[in-house]
Amino acid sequence: MKVMRDDLHVFTGSYVLDAISEAEREEFERHLQTCPTCDAEARGLRETAARLALACAVTPPARMEQQVLAATYRTRQLPPLPADRPRRERRRVLRFPRRVAVLAAAASVAAAVALGITQLSAQHQLDHARDTAIARVVTAPDARVEAARTSAGGNVTVVTSAALREAVVSTSGMASLPSSRVYQVWVMSPSGARSAGLMHGSSLLASSVRPGDRIGITVEPAGGTSKPTTTPIAVLPV
Amino acid sequence: MSRPDIRQLQPEPAPAPDCEPDLAAQLALVARGDHRAFELVYGELAGPVYGVVRQVLRDPAQSEEVAQEVLLEIWRTASRFDPARGSGAAWALTIAHRRAVDRVRSETASSRREQKAAEPQPAEDDVAEVVAATLEFQRVRRCMGGLTDLQRESIKLAYYSGYSYPQVAQLLGVALGTVKTRIRDGLIRMRDCMEVTW
Repeated sequence: MKVMRDDLHVFTGSYVLDAISEAEREEFERHLQTCPTCDAEARGLRETAARLALACAVTPPARMEQQVLAATYRTRQLPPLPADRPRRERRRVLRFPRRVAVLAAAASVAAAVALGITQLSAQHQLDHARDTAIARVVTAPDARVEAARTSAGGNVTVVTSAALREAVVSTSGMASLPSSRVYQVWVMSPSGARSAGLMHGSSLLASSVRPGDRIGITVEPAGGTSKPTTTPIAVLPV
Repeated sequence: MSRPDIRQLQPEPAPAPDCEPDLAAQLALVARGDHRAFELVYGELAGPVYGVVRQVLRDPAQSEEVAQEVLLEIWRTASRFDPARGSGAAWALTIAHRRAVDRVRSETASSRREQKAAEPQPAEDDVAEVVAATLEFQRVRRCMGGLTDLQRESIKLAYYSGYSYPQVAQLLGVALGTVKTRIRDGLIRMRDCMEVTW
């Protein structure tokens, strides 16, 4: 049934985008068991679809974390599936190098994105000046992105527009600090470090940023300081 | 200030962007019931999970509810994640997207969404909207630009709006087979453009 198979093969894209019905999904998954080419293609396209999701990451409401973490203590986990599954051999043959896939997650850490921001801004009429300013930077044609893991855990992303002389500093997965401490962001230049503000939410806008400056984050006493007093947990170029 | 403050600030050595092996390793720990590992996984995935669910569902309250279900599902089914079959992010985000789409397609959801629409919207402050750009966004935007209009629209309607391919075909006024083909061709082009190597 070659015609049938070719027809099914075309489903790889719709399958990974969940654009097919339940019945079609079941049929296609049976087909994948017998079609190594389709299976390999579906996996590559699934990774591609994941990038589409990473590109619209939005910081969820803060309360969500506690609710989910609390729920894990009440939720029993599934046992692993039996190990001797037939697809194991086939999978080895088809396995691709995965170095590059890694890059996706590097970006995922920052959890953010402008595809999200422009659409959300438009849709929800966000009129906060700060959100608008952040949107302007991240959607600037010359926006440049730097990301790093901080030495204290968590990740920081800096998006800079040289034309606007502004940078958006975002963090994710940062350790929560005691109430006596805050994360403070600095714009560092050869003439010194200038505070760009305290990291209250997950994003902050730094203005008057010049090429060659760097963005640093330190842990400071509550209320912040006028000069950094500790070693930065991350320093990124703009 | 005679002493330049910059001296206090030693640059960290650039960390290798190897978060994915990290995520896979954390998921293996989660499968063994490690709550601390789950916190790290949450930190990595909550943003994309919430983001994609919200793209599809739009309603913030419902999106939050579904995103919570998805993240708990990641906890519950972590033992089923197989690092040889794909990245941890792709595994988790597949769960997220599918759950959102299932919600859209269920009848109860549609009636609930209509009810929601009639209710007063929560203040925007209530919704943590703060987003920023990532490398990933830049790439996706650039690569989307390399698609034909039909490919791009088909992919956006299917993935970001959660439409089935027959619905996409109807919206775009093209044949079913055309949509299936365009979605696949477009995704293949995206895959190559973004250098996805799985």
